[in-house]
Parts: sequence; C-alpha cells; structure tokens
Amino acid sequence: MSASEVLAATGVARSDRVTRHLLVDRIYHWLTAAAVLILMGSAFLPIIGWKFEWLNLHWMTGVALTLLVVFHIVRALVWQDWRAMVVDTADIRNGWRSIAQALRIGRRPPGKPGKYKPLQKLYHLAVALLVLSIVVSGLLMLLKIDTPLWRRNPYWFAADTWGVIYSVHGFAAMAMITLVMIHIYFALRPEEWWLTRSMLRGSISRAEYREHCDSERWHAGGDRA
Amino acid sequence: MHLFRFATSIYGDSDVVIGASWDLLPWFVAAGGAFILVHAVVKAVAGRRR
Repeated sequence: MSASEVLAATGVARSDRVTRHLLVDRIYHWLTAAAVLILMGSAFLPIIGWKFEWLNLHWMTGVALTLLVVFHIVRALVWQDWRAMVVDTADIRNGWRSIAQALRIGRRPPGKPGKYKPLQKLYHLAVALLVLSIVVSGLLMLLKIDTPLWRRNPYWFAADTWGVIYSVHGFAAMAMITLVMIHIYFALRPEEWWLTRSMLRGSISRAEYREHCDSERWHAGGDRA
Repeated sequence: MHLFRFATSIYGDSDVVIGASWDLLPWFVAAGGAFILVHAVVKAVAGRRR
C-alpha cells in the first residue's frame, strides 16, 4: 500500500521511507569510523616503515574515541532500544534454520530479522569487546606519557602488568584490522547497499523494510530508531 | 615468529613481555582477506547455481 493509499484509507499520513538511523547516530558512526581509521593509521603505519610523529595524534584520537564510546553506551542504554542489538531466541532459531536449509536437512525457511541481522549483532558484539579492550588498555597506557593534562607515572604497575596491558592493546588493535576489513567489504557488497545507504541518508524505503525486516520484530513506526 | 615482544628486565636477569608481536600484523590482514575471498567465492557460486 502506497503512502497516498494509506492516507486515503486511514486519514493518517505515512512516509514511504522508514527511519533507520537518526542524524545523531549517523554522525556518531562516521566520527567513530574516522577515529578508528586515524588510530589504525597512526599505530600501524610507523610499524610497517612509514615514520612520522604519531604519538600525539594517536593518544588524542584515542581520547576522542573514548568519549564517543561513552556517548554511544549512554545513548544506547537510555534513548535507544539496546535489545535490538542483542541476539535473542528468534535469531538462534533462524540461524539454525538457515544452517539446516543450507545442509538440506531442514525445510522450514528462516524468518526475517528485526532491525539487525544476527550476524550484525555478533559483529557488533565482537567490535564492542575489542574497542572496550582497546579503550581501557589505552587509557592505562596514557599513564606512560606526558601530556598537557597530566604527568607520566610509569610506576603504577609492575613491568609484567604493563606487558599484559600493552599485549591486550596490541592484539585487540590487530584484530580490529580484520573486523574493519570485513565491515568495509560488506558495506560495499551490492546486496547490502540498502544498509550502507541508510547510514548515509538515515532511512530505507518501505519496500526495503518489507523485503528485509520482520515488522513484528522491528516496529519501524515506533519513535525509537 | 613470536606471539609477544620481549625486553630484558631492569635487573638484567630475565625477559619480560612488553607487548604483542608486530610479526602477527600480516596474519590479521590475511585473515580479513581470506574471509572476504571465501565469502565472495561462496556468494558467486551460490548466485550462479540460482
């Protein structure tokens, strides 16, 4: 039913577009993307041989990423529907049906996801764990450098403990390379362009909503997006 | 290839871990590349069968 038909039938106007990401969330996403790319560049380019004064750029961007992460956590918990990003029983059931269908041992087709697909949720969980590890270890590593805001104090931890902190930071940062590559790959795949466009424009068409999403699991008409 | 970077302790009697080994960097890049390659091939083959 088109927007004009809905208006004629119900007297209530309905947009042909479904809001998926509000402007504030899109700004958050792209600022975070820029911060992560700057952090990866300032961390790994010197390692592979491109020498430049990377430390100030790295720690300042790291502090900015920390503020963005805090903003996101507060916004997700208070203003957004954080349950939309949690794997639920329907996701597990649909995942099993997808596997069964691929292996030709099951006939029931998987249902549609809500706002986010199960693999998007798992990806978000993996990124969240890595970014939190990087942020916490990175904040502790700030104790090792002088800045305009504080003086270095490398004696907070023993050498072994510093080794653990630096290792967590390094392993999580390298794993982020893998996940960022996969993220960009999926964003560029044609069948996912409707999602990529929504992170630019903020909305999807109602046809895309009907094709990809279960309206029972994601109430697009709701005031939370 | 090491998993960690080491340095001699300030007492000079042992090695201490100072962080993850950067030798692993290409492996994480390769893991991302391998995932992308496998997924793209599977999608292409599945699309052709349909």
